[in-house]
Amino acid sequence: MSAWDQLFNIDRISIIMILLAGFVVTSVASFSYRYLQGDRKKRTFFLYLTVLFIMCLSIFVSDHLLILLISWGLSNFFLSKLILHKCEWPAARNSSHLALKNFSLGLLFLGGAFGLLYLETGETSIRLILNSSLRPEVATVASVSLFLAAMTQSAQWPFHKWLTSSLNSPTPASAVMHAGLINGGGFLLVRFAPLFFEQPMLLNIIFMVSMLSAFLGTFWKLMQSDVKRMLACSTMGQMGFMMAQFGLGLAPAAIAHLCWHGLFKAYLFLASGSAAQEKRYDFDSVITLKQLAFSSVCGAIGATSFAWASDKNFLAGDTTLFLILISMIAGIQFSLPIIRSHSKFKIPFALIASAIMGGFYGISVFCVESMLEPLNILSPQSLNVFHVFALLALVVGWFGIIFIKSSNQISFPDWALKIYVRMLNASQPHLSTITANRNQYQF
Amino acid sequence: MKALHRIEQLQNNTSKKSKSGRASLKESIEKSWSKIVPFWPLKNIIAVNPIGGFENLLFEDALSEANAYFQQKEIPKQMEQVNRESIKWLQAFFDQGQATIQMPCRNLGLLNSIRSLIRFDNCLGLKDLQKKQWLDNLPKDPEEVVERALWYLGISPIDQELFITLMLTSLPGWASYVQYRSNWTNSQEYENSAFDYRVEYLAFRMVLVCLIWPEAKKLILIHKNYRKKINTKTLYQKITESESSYQREVNKKIASMSMPIKKVTPNAQLVFCIDVRSEPFRRAIEAQGEYETFGYAGFFGVPVSVEDSVTKKAHSSCPVLLSPKHRIIEVPRVPIDLCKRGYKRLTGFIKVYQSLKYTFSTPFTLAEGLGIGAGLWMALKCFMPGGASRLKSGLQSLIAPQYSIFPEIDRIPFEEQISYGLGALKMIGLTENFSPLVVFCGHGSSTQNNAFASSLDCGACGGNHGSSNARIIAAILNSDKVRTALKRQDIRIPDDTLFLAAMHNTTTDQVEIFDDKSQAKAQRDIQYLKMDLEKAKRENSLWRIEKLGVKKSPYKSEQHAIRRAQDWAQIRPEWGLARNAAFIAGPRWLTKNVNFDGRTFLHSYDWENDGDVSSLTTILTAPMIVAQWINAQYLFSTLDNVAFGAGSKVTKNIVGKIGIMQGNASDLMHGLPLQSVNRSDQTPYHDPMRLSTFVYAPVGFVQKIIDEQASLQKLFSNEWVHLFCHDPLENKIFKLQKDLTWSKVH
Repeated sequence: MSAWDQLFNIDRISIIMILLAGFVVTSVASFSYRYLQGDRKKRTFFLYLTVLFIMCLSIFVSDHLLILLISWGLSNFFLSKLILHKCEWPAARNSSHLALKNFSLGLLFLGGAFGLLYLETGETSIRLILNSSLRPEVATVASVSLFLAAMTQSAQWPFHKWLTSSLNSPTPASAVMHAGLINGGGFLLVRFAPLFFEQPMLLNIIFMVSMLSAFLGTFWKLMQSDVKRMLACSTMGQMGFMMAQFGLGLAPAAIAHLCWHGLFKAYLFLASGSAAQEKRYDFDSVITLKQLAFSSVCGAIGATSFAWASDKNFLAGDTTLFLILISMIAGIQFSLPIIRSHSKFKIPFALIASAIMGGFYGISVFCVESMLEPLNILSPQSLNVFHVFALLALVVGWFGIIFIKSSNQISFPDWALKIYVRMLNASQPHLSTITANRNQYQF
Repeated sequence: MKALHRIEQLQNNTSKKSKSGRASLKESIEKSWSKIVPFWPLKNIIAVNPIGGFENLLFEDALSEANAYFQQKEIPKQMEQVNRESIKWLQAFFDQGQATIQMPCRNLGLLNSIRSLIRFDNCLGLKDLQKKQWLDNLPKDPEEVVERALWYLGISPIDQELFITLMLTSLPGWASYVQYRSNWTNSQEYENSAFDYRVEYLAFRMVLVCLIWPEAKKLILIHKNYRKKINTKTLYQKITESESSYQREVNKKIASMSMPIKKVTPNAQLVFCIDVRSEPFRRAIEAQGEYETFGYAGFFGVPVSVEDSVTKKAHSSCPVLLSPKHRIIEVPRVPIDLCKRGYKRLTGFIKVYQSLKYTFSTPFTLAEGLGIGAGLWMALKCFMPGGASRLKSGLQSLIAPQYSIFPEIDRIPFEEQISYGLGALKMIGLTENFSPLVVFCGHGSSTQNNAFASSLDCGACGGNHGSSNARIIAAILNSDKVRTALKRQDIRIPDDTLFLAAMHNTTTDQVEIFDDKSQAKAQRDIQYLKMDLEKAKRENSLWRIEKLGVKKSPYKSEQHAIRRAQDWAQIRPEWGLARNAAFIAGPRWLTKNVNFDGRTFLHSYDWENDGDVSSLTTILTAPMIVAQWINAQYLFSTLDNVAFGAGSKVTKNIVGKIGIMQGNASDLMHGLPLQSVNRSDQTPYHDPMRLSTFVYAPVGFVQKIIDEQASLQKLFSNEWVHLFCHDPLENKIFKLQKDLTWSKVH
């Protein structure tokens, strides 16, 4: 390997990440140019945004441990600056500190892992490290440390507080963050994927821990009554799901999720000013068994179409099935409102629509996955009890929401109230980042 | 036994005491709440004077009162905790459809629902068994809870009112929202409206204080100490100075005008809302040819609520001071089933999206499935807002085509139709010399991604677009039966006069005429009018865009204005009513040749047709009050955008679909956002001054009204509004003094 190759590694992952970051940053920059009109920190905002972007590029292409570590630290530092925006506002200052503290911890984990890998192999190039043989215990400690770094970066429980407390930042900064650096955790795992794939038990742990964040994040999201915290909690859940996909050994799926979610969330943040005008339509009556049966058929068709379009094998009996089943749940949920409508052609329409949507969804995932195919980072695991457990929990949670939404319950048992209060409290931002006296707010 | 007996006696004593105490408590609560003005939610933002609770004081004194209650920078740490907990619960309780998993037990009312939950809240130190017991033993009735809490905190009856007030003013935004929910809503609009939220809210705050900060009594002393440091003299002086120079200028301008001698019948007469944004547009259309314009409250005197026959959604479309008397249904001109089907298709798509987004397990798939689409749509909206907007409306009309609509005015009894028609014409002084076209022009804004969109709409229509009311009044005056009846009142509307409804889009200056093409004869006139409106639009856009700090050619400025309306990143789509300063009631010739720079509310008024001063009474007690509310909203949002405004839009966070918070969580930020009143973070655009009213009528007219109207006496004697009278009989200008006597202006 030439010296250049030992410093930089521009592979297909780098290209995907650069495309994603470039796309989001240019869009957000165009948005901010008008959105921050008259804001006294406009110039600084653009300065930080530019530096942040360059640092991100450096992360995506570096193969040298030290370059990666430094750009990792610097980009997070500038992200915390971007969160701050108005340093006269105490709550914003505290948000920024909180994020910085979290990132420092992450940097420590990352530095630890890198140090260990360097000491063990004497190499500084990630590719060379991954090709050399490590003692199993070193591999375990290093990968756990890497995973912890990834968790802090992607706001996984219990390192999530900085994310749910980061909304004192300007809207475009949130958009960049939720489409950009928060994905760093996923990127890091995928970069070191071969290391993780040799340790199936660790993958299971990653899967379970990440599923926990996916659950908590989604649950909290559904409880929030302000739009931005709802989006932040949702990101936490989505990141959990992304890392769980990695835990299934499906690194390409994780990258696909990270890209599409990033775009989706950036859009939602920029559009968050319309939240008050959005009218919510809810189910007005209880779902019947017949409706559920019909939509299950639609869901199955949607899932088949998804599996076919994204080139996944139904019968392999490995963790790919997990994703297919999730897409089936989505297919059922998708066809339910159609089945429940009063249209004459609802059943054929629901069938066709599910098949089309499943196919469309499959293609969008396939786009990313096929691009990553030559990297050989796909290593489906065999299904085990953890996966079944998580799947059950997903189904139960989903049913639970349908039930809550379609019932007009008046009184609640104490345990339900207790869970509500506990969850509400857990999803609150850090105390110091709340503007308790409005006159402390500064623009 | 003895001990038991003594306890009974004690209880008897306290209950006797509490009866007299209860009356004084009720009074304290009432008085404290009178300092809090309502805050309307984002769906229909109504301008109010944020310190309207102090209008019984001199303006100068009210400034320092407001400072004492609302602008205190430091509050004790424990009180901050009380606020944090309050915000958490209020946000969950008052949520209007953001959360999917809603707060349980909301049907128990504010106090009792939260009480059933905070039992499990470990943020409140309830591990302390005594506290828990105290909480469990609290009575159900909120007033009793307040009483119990006051006693627990050791607040003496003398300090009672002040303490209760401080409970409200230390979290003023939410208190204002509670005030709105208690006194300004009807049961159809909200669930659970049977509760007296004002006492409930107070009790809830007090319970939190008791649990978190038993020494809260200190708050009184802190408040009193803070008071001593307040000085608002320089601020007051600054305001007064800019006001007097502005008043001199306006007085001079008006006085230099003289009544025109000959009266020709104009090509068209257009009636606009008194909104300050009408003033430059009226000048622009008048410059295009023989056009006469009028100013009238934008609901055109018809107090209605309007229901969409397709969506079944209804809203009140009249000033909030009135309650709607009729419900008007707007019906499409095509078979309604066609529209309903389109609407169902459209909501069907939204339902599918929402059912995937707002549930468990499926959002993961949704994000992956929609990622590409969302990304492309985002880029399109950022780089080509116009294209995105055309694409969106194109798709929308493909799914659910839009059709023109008309109001079913039969719901208004015939007698009242006559009185509305008559009232409108008389109020603006249009009783003869009718043009072939008379246009009632409501107004509304069009903006994207703007939480404060409704603050740019018509205040007289309750923060909505004014087109519905324009349609109704035009339909009434086009009715042959009504015209026959008006003839008996000596108002002869020629047979070839056609009344039209229109809407002025204040963001783009586009005026859309709602013409059903039924009158073939009028088509040529309408075409000419439309052409002139296009020219006026270009002229006014140029002027407005310059005010927004952009210099462009006339054509380009027109395009720029449209782009601003379509751009989701635009933080100042238009200036709204910023820089408003004066209210002028008089005939058009008085103001026609003067450039008021879009700062005046112009109400048409002809004193010679108002012998019983009934029109002027209405003008001063209704439209002028609305203008004063708007003026005060802009004034205080400019003076202190943190305490009385909403802060910067850049960090806003919409909560419960009702209002905004700043960042993670804060008080409900009532008032206007920084970007509505400021050019930049540092430089204000709005000129903070009180409303100056100018009336063209004999002094005796005005005096008679003031003598009868206590509300006006309060406003004028406390100097909340300046009043000038241009007396046509004596040909002199008078200013109303603080003591309600007149002084001559030189």
